Amino acid sequence: MQCIRARSLSKSYGPAPAVDRLDLDVECGQAFGFLGPNGAGKSTSIKMFTTLLRPSSGSLEVLGIDALAEPLRVRSRIGVVLQQPSYEPTLSVEKSLDRYGMMWGVPAAVRRERAGQLLSEFGLEDARRVRNEDLSIGQRRRVQVAREFMHDMDLLFLDEPTVGMDPQARRRLMDYLRRRVEAGLTILYTTHVLSEAEYLCDSVAVIRGGRVAATDTPASLRRKYGSCKTFTIRVAGPPAALSGLSLPGCRCDDSEGTVTVSSDSPEGELSAALRALAAAGLEAEDISVEHGSLEDAFIRMVDDAPSG
Amino acid sequence: MHPVARLVLRNLTISLNPGFLIWQIIFPLVYIFVAGFAYSALIPEIRLGGQVLDYPAFLATGMIGFNIMNSTLVSGIIIWNDRRHGMFEQILCGPFTRAHYILANICTIAIVGLASAFLIVLVGAPIFAGSAELRPETVPLVVFAAVTGSVLFGSIASIISTRLRSSEGFNVIINTVFLFFAFVSTAFYPAQGAPEPLATAFYLNPLTYLVDVIRAGLFGTFDALAAYEMLALAAAASCLFALATKMITRLDL
Repeated sequence: MQCIRARSLSKSYGPAPAVDRLDLDVECGQAFGFLGPNGAGKSTSIKMFTTLLRPSSGSLEVLGIDALAEPLRVRSRIGVVLQQPSYEPTLSVEKSLDRYGMMWGVPAAVRRERAGQLLSEFGLEDARRVRNEDLSIGQRRRVQVAREFMHDMDLLFLDEPTVGMDPQARRRLMDYLRRRVEAGLTILYTTHVLSEAEYLCDSVAVIRGGRVAATDTPASLRRKYGSCKTFTIRVAGPPAALSGLSLPGCRCDDSEGTVTVSSDSPEGELSAALRALAAAGLEAEDISVEHGSLEDAFIRMVDDAPSG
Repeated sequence: MHPVARLVLRNLTISLNPGFLIWQIIFPLVYIFVAGFAYSALIPEIRLGGQVLDYPAFLATGMIGFNIMNSTLVSGIIIWNDRRHGMFEQILCGPFTRAHYILANICTIAIVGLASAFLIVLVGAPIFAGSAELRPETVPLVVFAAVTGSVLFGSIASIISTRLRSSEGFNVIINTVFLFFAFVSTAFYPAQGAPEPLATAFYLNPLTYLVDVIRAGLFGTFDALAAYEMLALAAAASCLFALATKMITRLDL
């Protein structure tokens, strides 16, 4: 089943469209990365998916519901963590979780139980009685994300949720989100930290100029667009055997006993390196290949895609 | 629970912090028991309809309207706080419509206004009870005036909230509005005897109509003028509420 099905979805604020005939399919039960450079139309798209904004044209189904005809039905089944911070400044962390659950109609006993679990999951136990206005930006962001799990939902939108979080909190959040996806939740996740998308997402779409430039798994996108490949040759024998060896275009590490070749088309350098090693009486024990990162692929997709 | 009721509960939770409650009680008490008795020597008596009131009784009943205005201006800025702290968009991402949000705000304002009025009636009763001529038919008038006044001042605060983003601009405007409403009115002193331009300015202020109607209800002096004032109050409240609703409905997300 598709959780989001957008067809020719457009939104214009002036003459230039912010989102331009966007087509997107997001299957249920996965973490879906929605990536793009600043101003690509991600946040506008999310505001349309979450029914905050009405599209100028096109059709949109969310969880099988016509989002233009029944926005309230959609909103009652989704969770949204917007890019901008949102909090009740005078409420404590614990109270704001409870009040948010109450707003969603969650019974008091369930709220108490969930708030306790979320405080623990998000590392907020020590801050439970601290007012939101006294928290650090990262802690406040954690409360904002944690709060969304106070209510039941089928689809969660997270728009750059880790802004301001420290690496530990980010990893904690990624792991928690992964567990929720494995339990059946669908997540649409936007971020500029592509390692997060790589870690969390089953599929990603890259949006540029208000349109989808590519959709695939992170690994496929890296293979297709991550042009830079890195070959690592592990040399048999003592690592010191590499000392004094000069291989053009290669990096020799005589403490590890490896020769590394990184290039868009490293095949020539690789052959030359293998021949030079053989000539020096050295044998390649193992050769591994690593494709460019999702970040390399992203930059290439964004730079190469035709504008407009 | 209905979505509007859930939002009202949320609004009350965030509005009724200890600071707000202390302000709501201490501020009028200082006026009633300090200014009321201190100014008694300057204003020995005030004629209201057929009644002759001492100044503390006059001021205590004025404080009912004043407290309604004060509390509803504060609770009317919920929308400003929600926009400032991102909760406006967040709420509208949830199972609520804009109509729910607007209705919840107005219900919150009415509840806070009525509670504030009740609070001042309780603490001010020893001061004005001797002169009060509360009749069963005037009680609904006082309650109606309290609700109408709450809606009116809450709508004014909502309109200001939709127009301003910066804290500085908002504070300047809301404090100016507060000062005008509070002191250019019959809440603290009667229009009779005031210089003509000031007495005229009193009647450009909805708080004057509110406190006049409340006093008429409490002291049994409800006459044609009070009825007109009540109609004017209801008309102004309806117009301002419609305007506030329109402006909230058109707020960009």
